Amino acid sequence: MPASDLTSSPAQRPLGGAKGQGEAQVQRRSHTTLGDLFYLPQLIPALLLITFGAVVMWSASLNIQAADFKRHMIGIVLGLVIMWFVRAYDYRAFANMSTALFVFDCLLMVLPRIPGLGLSENGITGWVRVPLLRISFQPSEVSKIVTIFLISSLGAQYNGRIETLRDYVKLCAILCVPFLLILVQPDLGTGLIVLVVGASIIIVSGARPSWVWVTIGMIVAVAALAIVTSMTPGLPHVLKDYQLNRLIVFVDPSVDPGGSGYNLQQAKIAVGSGGLFGKGIGNASQSGTGFLPEAQTDFVFALLSEEFGFVGSAGVLLLFGWMIFSTITLAQRMEQPFAKLVLAGIATMWSFQVLQEAGMCIGIMPITGIPLPFISYGSTSMVIHCTAVGIVQSVWHHRTKAA
Amino acid sequence: MWVALAIVGAALVVALGVVLFVRRRQLRDAFKLDIGNAVPTAAGGSDTSTETGFHRRLVGLQVFSGTIIGVLIARLWSMQLVASDDYARQAESNRTRTVTTSAPRGRILDRNGIELVTNRPCLAVSAAPEVVDDEVEMQLLANLIGMPYLAVRRKIQNQNEGAQSKRTVAVDVSRRVVAYIDEHPYLFDGVAVEERTERLYPNGSLAAHVLGYTGTISQEELEWSEDPRNTEGIKYSAGDIVGQAGVEYQYESVLQGIRGEQVVYVDAYGSVLASSASIEPQSGSDVVLTIDSKVQRQAEESLARVINDIRAAGNKECNAGCAVAMDVTNGEIIALASAPTYNPSVFTGGISYDDWERLSSESSASPLMNRVVSGLYPSASTIKPLGALAALDYNIATPETSFYCSGYWTGFGDDFGQYCWDHYGHGGMNLQTGITYSCDVVFYEIGKGFYVSDTPEGLQATYRAWGLGSETGVDLPSEEAGRVPDAEWKWNYWDTEPDDVRQWQGGDSTNLSIGQGDILVTPLQMCCVYAGLATRGTMWRPHVLKSVRSSTGSGTVIEHSPEITRSVSEDSSAFDLVQRGLEGVIYEESAAQAEHFTNMSETVAGKTGTAERAGREPTGWFIAFVPSDQPKYAIASLVEQGGYGSSSAMYVVRDIMGAIYNEPDTSEAVDETGAR
Repeated sequence: MPASDLTSSPAQRPLGGAKGQGEAQVQRRSHTTLGDLFYLPQLIPALLLITFGAVVMWSASLNIQAADFKRHMIGIVLGLVIMWFVRAYDYRAFANMSTALFVFDCLLMVLPRIPGLGLSENGITGWVRVPLLRISFQPSEVSKIVTIFLISSLGAQYNGRIETLRDYVKLCAILCVPFLLILVQPDLGTGLIVLVVGASIIIVSGARPSWVWVTIGMIVAVAALAIVTSMTPGLPHVLKDYQLNRLIVFVDPSVDPGGSGYNLQQAKIAVGSGGLFGKGIGNASQSGTGFLPEAQTDFVFALLSEEFGFVGSAGVLLLFGWMIFSTITLAQRMEQPFAKLVLAGIATMWSFQVLQEAGMCIGIMPITGIPLPFISYGSTSMVIHCTAVGIVQSVWHHRTKAA
Repeated sequence: MWVALAIVGAALVVALGVVLFVRRRQLRDAFKLDIGNAVPTAAGGSDTSTETGFHRRLVGLQVFSGTIIGVLIARLWSMQLVASDDYARQAESNRTRTVTTSAPRGRILDRNGIELVTNRPCLAVSAAPEVVDDEVEMQLLANLIGMPYLAVRRKIQNQNEGAQSKRTVAVDVSRRVVAYIDEHPYLFDGVAVEERTERLYPNGSLAAHVLGYTGTISQEELEWSEDPRNTEGIKYSAGDIVGQAGVEYQYESVLQGIRGEQVVYVDAYGSVLASSASIEPQSGSDVVLTIDSKVQRQAEESLARVINDIRAAGNKECNAGCAVAMDVTNGEIIALASAPTYNPSVFTGGISYDDWERLSSESSASPLMNRVVSGLYPSASTIKPLGALAALDYNIATPETSFYCSGYWTGFGDDFGQYCWDHYGHGGMNLQTGITYSCDVVFYEIGKGFYVSDTPEGLQATYRAWGLGSETGVDLPSEEAGRVPDAEWKWNYWDTEPDDVRQWQGGDSTNLSIGQGDILVTPLQMCCVYAGLATRGTMWRPHVLKSVRSSTGSGTVIEHSPEITRSVSEDSSAFDLVQRGLEGVIYEESAAQAEHFTNMSETVAGKTGTAERAGREPTGWFIAFVPSDQPKYAIASLVEQGGYGSSSAMYVVRDIMGAIYNEPDTSEAVDETGAR
């Protein structure tokens, strides 16, 4: 059930909310600062990351044919435009739309399976070609944002404490639907992001720690079971061979240096050989000359670490840290649970994607094919993360101003 | 790896600490809440607790995110700052390849500078092992080179050059073939044209056993060259050509050049992006041998001719032999021949399986074996001079002692009678005539004399003093040490037999004194013994290396310095006796034999020998030194199962002397007395 008891008037009248904001601006025009219009602690690092990403992609385009700098710039522009519109849109409209969000989420996942719309790449049926327009996108990326809203809208109705186990299980079950739908594409990487982000929102919503621990225990058990059955001949192979190989290689990269272990090894060499200041733009001997495949997307962190060294890689991580911290700080300041949960979800999404993307390049996470927000080549990812920035700005934009 | 584990571990500890911290705050809050129930506080109600709940959980999220960033930065610190050099090295080895150009091996020359082994440049087509799976490509290659398809296939399947290395398909291909392959790389994946230098043998099989042959480095040699314990050796890489026998093997480190190297920068697909400075290949040094081509050729031809003649006369068992000539004043080997021989050029570019089978099989009498240093034979009568010296040393006999040979000797009783080779008997004998006529009875008496004396192994001690039973130290591989049997050896050798069989018997001593039975020597050892007799006790280490000459630059010459390995002291009267005995062999033992030497201006001293083996043709020996009054050369020859020494090996020795002194043997006389 949508949380009708939590309805706030702006959510019912989004236009009215916007009007109210307009009035506020009029009132305070005399001393309106940039900080009033934008939540700068989050916006500045995001824009810096986008800028830095553009530099990285330009340098990648010097050596890697697949990295088309022009297309990357189009993605950035598109993302910024969408960010602008999202900022203006009152996010609170989604607080009561959980049923619609759920249906939309499921629909997104089914889209690539519709003949004529779906596209397959690298064995993943995760692309949708928009008819008439010559663009295609990954619905699973969109699904991350939709899921954040979906779980937040459901979680917000408990007002900070999920009292019954029944409610908790219901939330988890709803989260499982998009997760499983992404999993069968199969796109384990994005699926994990959705799962972690959703779980984080549920935890922040006020799930009892004991339930959470039990759930984590169950997930670990199921994952272990999946791995064991996949490794045992005769039992159903839940994980694809390449996924299993990545896990094995993660434990011991020297098992198969020619295959999955090769990428990991090359990524680590790229990162490590960057040193303090890096090899300089266009001088990436590892990422630039084909030793590290997919250096512009999945292994972009290795690329930037090689070219810009520890200064660059740590700098990028600090920018991410700044952005994530600011987002959570904003969540602290917001009073409505829905706003808190949406921001927590977005912060978790960035944290986890950074952990996953950077972590796999330096050998502390298994290899999955997910992009580094704002930097990896790929317009869908760029647009989605710009949308996330827009949502944070929208929260700031639609905040209840202090008297 | 450990650094990574430590960091991950530290991160886990931090995370655990955070979790515990949050939990404790939770507990404390819960505790506070309980108190809150009991004690009224200003701030109460569910709103506040909801707010603190959110606050706490968002702080938890912040800690979660902070931990992630922290762990990542810590790991980057360790990789990019601490272990950066190591990764940089790996990145460097990723993007650089070392391209090597092989250096020509040094040449091998005879003592007069005549080339025995040299090099010639050639263009070779080689193919990776995987090409064998592509029938179309192999057919194309076959058509292009003009070879049968099956031959190409067999060449590529041939693993003689190593399982992983490229297989040579054809050498000496035309420029047209090279151009076609270079222009159509997509048709010939895995096929390469290489510029090589190949071993060239201008004189064919001449001195094959001295020179040896070359081949692709074996896996064991490769591993040893890479072994850190091997500090002085050359560092090889797979596919290198190395010496595998003879001088090629012995002086590998001198002959092998230093390959040229160039570091090139490549991308992941192996395309060359840039190249850096190169080191030119440096060819190996030339080796000058003590071998004299002329004498060597004569030795080989004579050996082959004698064997042929013997076979033509009906003895088909005779198919092998050897000869060696040595300068007694410094140990230089001027000729070394072993029959049957082989042509080392069959090994260039990889020997075929069939050729290898043929060369290494027993049935073809092991042509690869160098019989001079690796062949083990009973010394037969050629050892008698040493027996005479031993008898004098140990007072078993004096020059005046007289012996009587009736043709049958019963010194150990009637039940143990032994024949002299001359069953009619030599009559009255002494030590000197015992050598000259090779009278077995004289040496039976000496053997018995030792057996019953208080120095029963004096004979063995003398043999060993002259170098038998130990390697001569010649600079050729695979040298055998031979065997001087004694009581201890016999006892151990027959360890499964009853004691009376294992016991040293009088018959063993008499066998030993005539050089039959268990004694085993190499022809080179015997040649050294006669060289020592010629120089009256000074024995030089036999060698084939004369000097090493750097083939580039200054052409510096490093001379091989001769070395005395043994000095045996005997009374000069004893040497006189032996020498007179040996001269007697040449000029008195047999008129026919004498005829072969009286046509020479130099006087000769020597000895025949005939090693008996039941049921087989005997193996003939002949060893001599010349000139007998001022000795210069010692020459030994042996013809396996070629009959008596006087009618087989003697001709070879005489022919070698003919080549040395330009006095070919003009006599056709054949010894009919069976002098041994």
